[in-house]
Amino acid sequence: MTQPGPLRAGTPPADWRSSLPPADGRYSYAFLDEGAKREIRRRMLKAVAIPGCQVPFGSREMPIARGWGTGGLQLTLALIGPEDMLKVIDQGADDSVNAVNIKKFVTRVTGVAVTTDTRAATLIQTRHRIPEEPLRPHQVLIFQVPIPEPLRLVEPSERETRRMHAEADYSRMWLYLYEDIVKFNEITVGARYPVMVNRRHLMDPSPIPRWDVAKLNQAEALCLFCAGREKRIYAVPPHTDVQPLSFEDFVFRVEAFGGRRCGRCGSTGTYLDEVIDDATGGRTYSCSDTAFCEKARRHHLAPGNHPPEEGAA
Amino acid sequence: MKPILQVRNLTKRYGKGCPDCLERTGPPHATNQCPRCRSVLACRAVDFALYPGEVLGIVGESGSGKSTVVRLLHFDFEPTAGDFFLRLNGNGAAPIDPAQNLFALSAFQRRQIRNERMGIVYQSARMGLRMKVSAGGNIAERLLMAGGRHVGRMRDRATELLAQTEVPVQRVDELPRTFSGGMQQRVQIAKALSTRPALLLLDEVTTGLDVSVQARVLDLIRSLQQELGVATIVVSHDLGVIRLLTSRTVVMRHGCIVEEGLSDQILEDPQHPYTQLLVNSTL
Repeated sequence: MTQPGPLRAGTPPADWRSSLPPADGRYSYAFLDEGAKREIRRRMLKAVAIPGCQVPFGSREMPIARGWGTGGLQLTLALIGPEDMLKVIDQGADDSVNAVNIKKFVTRVTGVAVTTDTRAATLIQTRHRIPEEPLRPHQVLIFQVPIPEPLRLVEPSERETRRMHAEADYSRMWLYLYEDIVKFNEITVGARYPVMVNRRHLMDPSPIPRWDVAKLNQAEALCLFCAGREKRIYAVPPHTDVQPLSFEDFVFRVEAFGGRRCGRCGSTGTYLDEVIDDATGGRTYSCSDTAFCEKARRHHLAPGNHPPEEGAA
Repeated sequence: MKPILQVRNLTKRYGKGCPDCLERTGPPHATNQCPRCRSVLACRAVDFALYPGEVLGIVGESGSGKSTVVRLLHFDFEPTAGDFFLRLNGNGAAPIDPAQNLFALSAFQRRQIRNERMGIVYQSARMGLRMKVSAGGNIAERLLMAGGRHVGRMRDRATELLAQTEVPVQRVDELPRTFSGGMQQRVQIAKALSTRPALLLLDEVTTGLDVSVQARVLDLIRSLQQELGVATIVVSHDLGVIRLLTSRTVVMRHGCIVEEGLSDQILEDPQHPYTQLLVNSTL
């Protein structure tokens, strides 16, 4: 997708912020040098070839702090090309600090257009949500991952978790869920619900709510995951089985909102955030996916309906 | 009758080893540490067989290599050399080729055989149980590994096993670290029996328990063993345990088997000087 830019060494000026133009020859296109992009792309290919398997990569220093989406950002920069349309969300919102900063940075170093419209985007970098509108085959979803290892919860040793993955020995994770049920009579895992990918690898779907876990199964779009601090890339290719761990008598369930609807757009079939009114102390609910909410309001949709495609022929 | 378990030339060496190791260690030299290279031969060239339904005792002093032998059979660590064959049928698990050396299998296959065919009870409950997981969960872990996916049924089976091993069933969801030593051993036994194994390994099960609890645990093991007919290897330094449980015994010293025979024979008419010393030194 990327145009190979000229690879020339240069000293960044003191005030690099104001003088960092897109692809002026002093920097490689999309910030990362061609060697780094090439390595990340090759790691991504391996991750796609073994769905759910964590592939190590040489995570680069980025101009944002570790833990603020450096993993997702590196994938985005390695994939992006001039004709791409970028959308960045942070827990469903297009306009939160993390999302805005990443968007600004990518635009500055590549000059690509950004959008809030899920349908129009070709690359979507996300933190902890999957957009409400169904994704389509040409789209790529990039997740920012804090802890890529689903077994870290039950096993601190990396050596041991690697052995467990190699032998498909996931009984400890099942045991964790069993104990949860014995203690609380339900599975209390909210976000980061462990999933089985392609019936082989246990995978951490990043801290998306259970609501979004089902969207990964047999998805149309390519889902890429990257943890910059932990230096791991993994992927769920399109049309891959993604099954949350579930017992016969305690099945996986998504969040229930008890028939509540979004206070702004009136939708019912979306993941809702609880908003507490500071003045009255009352509770209202609104869509976590702000772009979807906005679109639904513009179209004055009947509750539960999805908005029509904008700008389609 | 064909043996269900056959071990040949089982050797475990800690350290680099040298050409002199085998000649300079063992009972004639009264050490299992090579004086030249300082390697320790925990067990060397151990051969024995186990027949269906039989209880075999392994007896010897501390450091004689008896625990090493059973833990090698449980695939807890890798042997330096040796062959291990199992001829087991039934219990619905995948069949094992009797001519296949199990030490040569992949870690995945060995884990599967261990989970489906073997149960082990360690001297310390900390090795056999997860102290931060409930007693029922400890038992369920083996069922989960074998593919159990129904919480209710697994918990029922855990309760049933705890009743069988005389642990108060209302404590099924409590942590084993709140249990007494004897109860922890019983939970270990319940865990070992959860997948209906064909081979039970008992590694100093009653050491560290007080005498009255020892008697009850041994009684339980004996009655369960007779009821289930599971072939068992009992490791102990306590001749009382050997007398009570086993029909045949091997005596180990400095990593070697020095005497082998029917338990009564060994206890009444020991041939090897070391066995004579062992029998005579009981309180």
